[in-house]
Amino acid sequence: MLDFSILTTNMDSFLEGLKITIIASLIALLGSFILGTLLAVMRIAPFKPLNWLGTAYVEFIRNIPVLVIVFFAYLAGNFGGMTAGTIGLTIYTAAFIAEAIRAGIMSVPRGQMEAARSTGLTYGQAMRMVILPQAIKIVIPPLGNQFINLVKNSSLLAVVAGGDLMYQGDLISAKTYVTFDTYVFVALFYLILTIPLSLGVGYLEKRLARSH
Amino acid sequence: MIVFNQVNKFYGDFQVLKDINLTIKQGEVVVVIGPSGSGKSTLLRCINHLETISDGTLTVNGISVGDKKTDINKLRRNIGMVFQHFYLYPHKTVLENITLAPMKALGQSEKEAKETARLYLDKVGILDKAESYPSQLSGGQQQRVAIARGLAMKPEIMLFDEPTSALDPEMIGEVLDVMKTLAREGMTMVVVTHEMGFAREVADRIVFMDAGKILEEAVPAEFYENPREERARLFLSRILNH
Ligand SMILES: Nc1ncnc2c1ncn2[C@@H]1O[C@H](COP(=O)(O)OP(=O)(O)OP(=O)(O)O)[C@@H](O)[C@H]1O
Ligand SMILES: [Mg+2]
Repeated sequence: MLDFSILTTNMDSFLEGLKITIIASLIALLGSFILGTLLAVMRIAPFKPLNWLGTAYVEFIRNIPVLVIVFFAYLAGNFGGMTAGTIGLTIYTAAFIAEAIRAGIMSVPRGQMEAARSTGLTYGQAMRMVILPQAIKIVIPPLGNQFINLVKNSSLLAVVAGGDLMYQGDLISAKTYVTFDTYVFVALFYLILTIPLSLGVGYLEKRLARSH
Repeated sequence: MIVFNQVNKFYGDFQVLKDINLTIKQGEVVVVIGPSGSGKSTLLRCINHLETISDGTLTVNGISVGDKKTDINKLRRNIGMVFQHFYLYPHKTVLENITLAPMKALGQSEKEAKETARLYLDKVGILDKAESYPSQLSGGQQQRVAIARGLAMKPEIMLFDEPTSALDPEMIGEVLDVMKTLAREGMTMVVVTHEMGFAREVADRIVFMDAGKILEEAVPAEFYENPREERARLFLSRILNH
């Protein structure tokens, strides 16, 4: 039977960890969405050096373990663990989000851009008002899945003392010597975050599939 | 109005357009025909700079199309284009499809843009579909919306790239009728189509292309009854007997 006193006596630590995990995930999501969009546009822009730079980033980052990136972020700057971890996660996740967004944009027929441009809209207007609204339908589900991955990957903050849920679990188990039960509670807290997200993504996927 | 002067275009080593010289005057209706791959679409798409020419000059109303100093968006507002596959915006209603460019590129108010849009929807005969989405329309209706979308910018020139070849036969007529009306009203039109009835009825000139070259230019009656070029003769016998 699980030792629930671990949960009750350390509730403050668990909640603190949960809070850090949520904040780090949200910041990394926002950061990697912005960086990812930029990288996606770089990869499709009609300018070769930008294409090349975008591709290099994506291929490079996708093929390094995220743990190594988090370590580098920690060693490279004079940051605390949470900041370094969040930066590492952002750098890593941006590569995947870039690919999702690029795939979404590429799935819109080329004629859509040509039709919009031939009415006199600028590239930016056509992108914003014609291409991206169509791409977003395709991008939202993979973006949701990236966010779920992000929440799970944020447990890597623990290795740089980021104060997150996993880190709090490490501290509690070291203090109480109740290792197994502690990590069961840690896992449950992650599930509280990821299961609703997962259901939400599934729901969105269905809704978008039905809409025009 | 549209002047090609010694225009060449290459894709790598492959030459799509060869020494094109062609002048299209205001109010003229020119029909471009020729075998698949002869460069008809490319010729058309150079006019509004969807393709760039490799050398020679191409001007529209005296403005050089490829020139870096040319405001291409401004030039395009004056040139409507209709595609084989319509390319209506699927996430927007018919009305929104038509009002987008007038509002964003011309700065019209929503009210003004909607009024104009309804006017042209009425003209192409589908005012009742204003609030529908493209996916709810037949191919013929979608193509008529696409024409209305082009017209809403009040262009002087309309380009049509095989506007009826993706349509079921029973819908071709409704689209051609709209185009005939436009032609009679004096719109400058460049139309890639193999619809002979349309060409004979409203075209001022037929331009026959083969392998990137303009082989023959003639008035429709002359071209269809007695083409000068052997290639044109061959081509016509093929499209007439299929
Ligand atoms: N982006 C491109 N890169 C390389 N070759 C191309 C490209 N676009 C067109 N071509 C080639 O240029 C030639 C002319 O193409 P174009 O589309 O203008 O022909 P078309 O006369 O319109 O043919 P169709 O009747 O099939 O529409 C074709 O051989 C085509 O394969
Ligand atoms: Mg073509």
